[in-house]
Amino acid sequence: MNVNSALSSPVFQLFSATAGTLMLVAGAALGTLKLFGRHVDHALESYKSWLIMVPLILLTMLLGRVAVIVAVMLLAAFGFREFARATGLYRDWLYTGSVLAGIVALGAATFVPDPRLGSPGWYGLYMAMPVFVIAAILLAPVLKNRSDGQLQRMALAIFAFVYFGWMFMHLGFLANSTHAYAYLLFLLLAVEANDIAAYISGKLFGHRPLRRAISPNKTVEGGLGALAVSLALPWLFWPALPNFTWAQLVLIGVVVGVGGQLGDLIISTIKRDIGVKDMGTAIRGHGGILDRIDSLIFVAPLFFHTVRWFHGL
Amino acid sequence: MRSWRYQPVRDFGLPLKERLQRCPREPGMLVYASRLVANLVLRLVLKTLFRFRVHGREHLAEPGSRILVCNHTSHLDTLCLTAAMPIAKIHRTYPAAANDYFFSDFARTAFSSVFINALPFDRRRGAAESLERCVRVLKRPDMSLILFPEGTRTSNGEVARFRSGVARLARATGLPVVPCHVSGGFECWPKGRWLPRPGPLVLHIGEALKFDESTDAASICRQLREAVIALEDKP
Repeated sequence: MNVNSALSSPVFQLFSATAGTLMLVAGAALGTLKLFGRHVDHALESYKSWLIMVPLILLTMLLGRVAVIVAVMLLAAFGFREFARATGLYRDWLYTGSVLAGIVALGAATFVPDPRLGSPGWYGLYMAMPVFVIAAILLAPVLKNRSDGQLQRMALAIFAFVYFGWMFMHLGFLANSTHAYAYLLFLLLAVEANDIAAYISGKLFGHRPLRRAISPNKTVEGGLGALAVSLALPWLFWPALPNFTWAQLVLIGVVVGVGGQLGDLIISTIKRDIGVKDMGTAIRGHGGILDRIDSLIFVAPLFFHTVRWFHGL
Repeated sequence: MRSWRYQPVRDFGLPLKERLQRCPREPGMLVYASRLVANLVLRLVLKTLFRFRVHGREHLAEPGSRILVCNHTSHLDTLCLTAAMPIAKIHRTYPAAANDYFFSDFARTAFSSVFINALPFDRRRGAAESLERCVRVLKRPDMSLILFPEGTRTSNGEVARFRSGVARLARATGLPVVPCHVSGGFECWPKGRWLPRPGPLVLHIGEALKFDESTDAASICRQLREAVIALEDKP
């Protein structure tokens, strides 16, 4: 991945053109709805943030592998920071520091070549990393010589590292693939399309709550709409994906369609349990970083291991 | 099984600018590390370019919260005082800074709160509210509040009249007030000049004074001003 290969890659061009077209269509649609007096202020706020995020994502891809790995690492670190601030783990530097050090170590394992195979990214170390980081987290109460409330802190830190760090940062490891543009850009586009489809179909047809106690606004119809879009997308981008069979295309669609909804529900569960509406205020119209990448956190590792199983990296 | 109890940070859900303006703050490791590095660099710069010396450090040795009052001729005064604090206390030291200047836009707010740990003080309409904020900070253990009771930098280098806010604060908290004096600030960076000119800077830290509720504000201001001026003449 570098500037030249990005600019000459038909896959990069295809996804960039698709993203640009979608942004234009969404802008025109929102503008028209506003002209007709519809209340779209919140959607417009969200759209304005997308106008910044989409070029930023494409620019990161353009800059290459290192930029992608660093960007994913920063997202994981700042996402974890939001979780730590919401739960109060933030005040405990030993746990917070262990998780952040683990996230940096994951970034390093993603970056360095495999010492035996010479391929980019030390896959074995990346997969084994939770063992070491969890061991470090479990050491914290021993070092502090404290027991009260430590189980909660240990559990929060381990969950945060595994979920926001290890699982999410599979996304960065995709930058080591020979099909990096296809995998990364398809995954980002599919997950966001899944989110938007759930929102729109929920608004248009939704009346049966999906999980009332977790997220009262999500509906079964919204989830089904999202799944339908997610199942269709791999077929639409089939030429960009490397020799996927029809069964693999369906599987990828299910992974994104179901995984995306589950990721959303998991963050909603966390927010509801803590008692906060959003995980932060970093992205206007969206909430925090975790509110934006909630589906991606869950889908990224599932997608990674699915495509790796069938096609390798 | 009993549910876990979460304690989100106090400024949770606030936009970043508002979080930076709040006092006392709840910053993370990144802010602490940035402030520590900035303070170490500041100490080095003051030592090498301004031959900065401190007399009376022993008056800061006692544990507990305190108010430091100082003459104000230049922006260097705040920097001298923060650089004179024990390194372990820099995150518990809050220099009161004019809200209308140091917190006027995002860049200044970020710089003042992250690197200097400044406390926004509204010297125009919200002085009472700002004093309440100072009290809130001082109620926490081992806090230091740096105040410039003249209210602004003087344009002639002399120590101007002390405003009554410091007296109200000293009476309300009952905390010791440490008089300080920075010499050389006016020559190095007087009001109106864009950048400082290297020159010697000397900070004198005096013995703490304590006041009770019965002392009247004018008398507190007079005593503190005299204590600050007395430090000017020290060798």
